[in-house]
Amino acid sequence: MFSASGFAKTWQYIQLFKEGLICTLSLSALTVIFGFILALVLALMRMSKFKPLSWFATCYVELFRATPMLVQLFIVYYVVFAKASLPSFKLFGFIRFERFFPGVVALSMNSGAYLSEIIRAGIQSIDHGQTEASRSLGLSSKQTLFEIVLPQAIKNILPAIANEFVTIIKESSICYTIGVQEIMYAVASIKGATYRIAEPLLIATAVYFCLTFPTSKIIAYFERRMSRGYKR
Amino acid sequence: MATNAELIKVSGLCKYYYNGELKALDGVDYSINKGDVVVVIGPSGSGKSTFLRCLNLLEVPTSGEVVFKGVDITKKYYTDKNGNKVKLNIDEHRRKMGMVFQHFNLFPHMTVLGNMTLAPIKVKKMNKAEAEKKARKLLERVGLADRADAYPIQLSGGQKQRVAIVRALMMEPEVMLFDEPTSALDPEMVGEVLEVIRELATTGMTMVIVTHEMGFAKEVGKQIVFMADGKIVETGTPQEIFDNPQSPRLQDFLRKVL
Repeated sequence: MFSASGFAKTWQYIQLFKEGLICTLSLSALTVIFGFILALVLALMRMSKFKPLSWFATCYVELFRATPMLVQLFIVYYVVFAKASLPSFKLFGFIRFERFFPGVVALSMNSGAYLSEIIRAGIQSIDHGQTEASRSLGLSSKQTLFEIVLPQAIKNILPAIANEFVTIIKESSICYTIGVQEIMYAVASIKGATYRIAEPLLIATAVYFCLTFPTSKIIAYFERRMSRGYKR
Repeated sequence: MATNAELIKVSGLCKYYYNGELKALDGVDYSINKGDVVVVIGPSGSGKSTFLRCLNLLEVPTSGEVVFKGVDITKKYYTDKNGNKVKLNIDEHRRKMGMVFQHFNLFPHMTVLGNMTLAPIKVKKMNKAEAEKKARKLLERVGLADRADAYPIQLSGGQKQRVAIVRALMMEPEVMLFDEPTSALDPEMVGEVLEVIRELATTGMTMVIVTHEMGFAKEVGKQIVFMADGKIVETGTPQEIFDNPQSPRLQDFLRKVL
């Protein structure tokens, strides 16, 4: 299964793992940023009193949660961006943008659907008295949202957002199917070059674990810090 | 009193729920003049809180008018002094009306100072140093100067409500609305909050107070409004209401609470 020579062979291609790590991190970070913005918009749309908006957001969320990620990724890559000729340059000197970008889009659209439900639950968990107090002081509905409701809501849902971020890091591996050079792509490349699969997979496992485990710990730390001062 | 001192005029105010099955307010007419201290009393479910919450439109009435300083704030547009049709911005009117809630509704993620300075900074564009100076002065007035940097969770109920009152005062409102300000407090903390309201009354602040504290109503109120079943049943001075009630409904209510 594992052999010393297998590791030695794999080690020759360790550069691919370094690149894969950078790619996975960029993919996940961009997905979290775009996914969160999309989720916020979707959550606000869904809570809107204007029916078509909330109807659209509901359909979006249900559609993306009820279909496989792989199908969404393929539709985005092979259908949506099929005709659009994306500029083919390389990020960090090796990431092919025309494959990377559809990956970010598909992952963001998918995680946006999940995150929006989390954000909506967070906003709705804030006592309506908070909004009333803010509005009675003359703050607008927008100011109330950003000064009063969202800061409290985000604090409450931070653990759920952290989970989603960890999920994105893991799910981003699916982008290897459209040729994004993330960690699983490195595994496939090394397998092709060395005919070894167990050793590259073991290294990939270790790399993913080292990414996700500290991430959840770091966010747990910030969660404790943020709640300092007003925790019961 | 002269009509030019009229601050809020409510007419035909109705608030229905479930398509009219529940009539929280059923045709209320009342005028509040500058400097008035109006205390609203009545049994639970009589519409007192709904009436108060309609005054700053936290509750949108089903029908009727709420005219605040000559502007009907229930409408989307109003006509200004020069005869122009202007879109009504409810926030502009709300900032002239302070409100104190039964459950305080302090912002838990901000310190006492943060709670107090938020609206002046965001809405009135006051600078931070100036707002904090003003906040500290007000805190001193209610005996909480040393709690400026505390978070709401670290305060007692009575302290929270005093902070809520000075938070509203930061905006220099022309009228203060109190929605059962002592109902959520432990008995030993009621006094300290009432003391602040009492002191405020002596400064000539216009106030509308919904309360269950009859002794306080009698002492502080200049006008008492008795409500039942969504209607104003009787109004008058504390002496008239408490010592010589006219309607059987009020007589019955007083017999139960006094």
